Amino acid sequence: MKNDFRLQYPLWMMGFIVVLGLLAFGLSSPVTEVINERSIVISLGPVGTIFAVGSIVIYIIMLTIFLLKLKKHNKKNPAQRISPFSIRPPEYLEQDEGMTYITRKAAQKVYTFITWSLPALAGFAIALSMPRLYIIFGILLVALGQYWIYFSEIRKHLKEETE
Amino acid sequence: MLNNRVRELRARYGFTQSDLGKQVEVTRQTIAFIEKGEFSPSITLALKLAKALQTNVDELFWLEGDEKDEK
Repeated sequence: MKNDFRLQYPLWMMGFIVVLGLLAFGLSSPVTEVINERSIVISLGPVGTIFAVGSIVIYIIMLTIFLLKLKKHNKKNPAQRISPFSIRPPEYLEQDEGMTYITRKAAQKVYTFITWSLPALAGFAIALSMPRLYIIFGILLVALGQYWIYFSEIRKHLKEETE
Repeated sequence: MLNNRVRELRARYGFTQSDLGKQVEVTRQTIAFIEKGEFSPSITLALKLAKALQTNVDELFWLEGDEKDEK
């Protein structure tokens, strides 16, 4: 159970979200625009380039490892295959009624978090006239939060159970 | 709150949580949740557990405060 990839799935998603945040930061840094008669060249500053290129490289590396682990999981657990293109979150543990119960508890906590965090974020964005980058960071923080809540709730139940 | 004797009877028959889980087709974790009283099983699972532990459902599970059934 501890090695079940579905338990690690939220952590992977959190990792991808952080990389997305780094990419957003890189792409939002100051740019130089060189406009000629024939073409427009837009170049990022050194810091922006490091973040943008670095995050893409990290993303590709993470994605490769992620897909390899996914393939390994699907090979070992043909009855509980995970599709990266599934609309239904693959981290749901529903192989029996006990696991469905803890999944429901975790999902309820996530739903509670989402119901206040998204309106709060929208409120802040309107009231403070937040720049686009900060709004993106806010959305990514909410996404990070929901995965962390889900992961920690499931882990809490499974950790208690092993004691 | 639902009390139960799953752990006691499981130990009596020398079953591990995994053994019992396999018999009633649930994970070991679910057996642990039931033993701790964290989760109340469905009627179907309660019947399967009672059968596996060679007892009746009302001998295996009882409501908290229902002292007459507390073994």
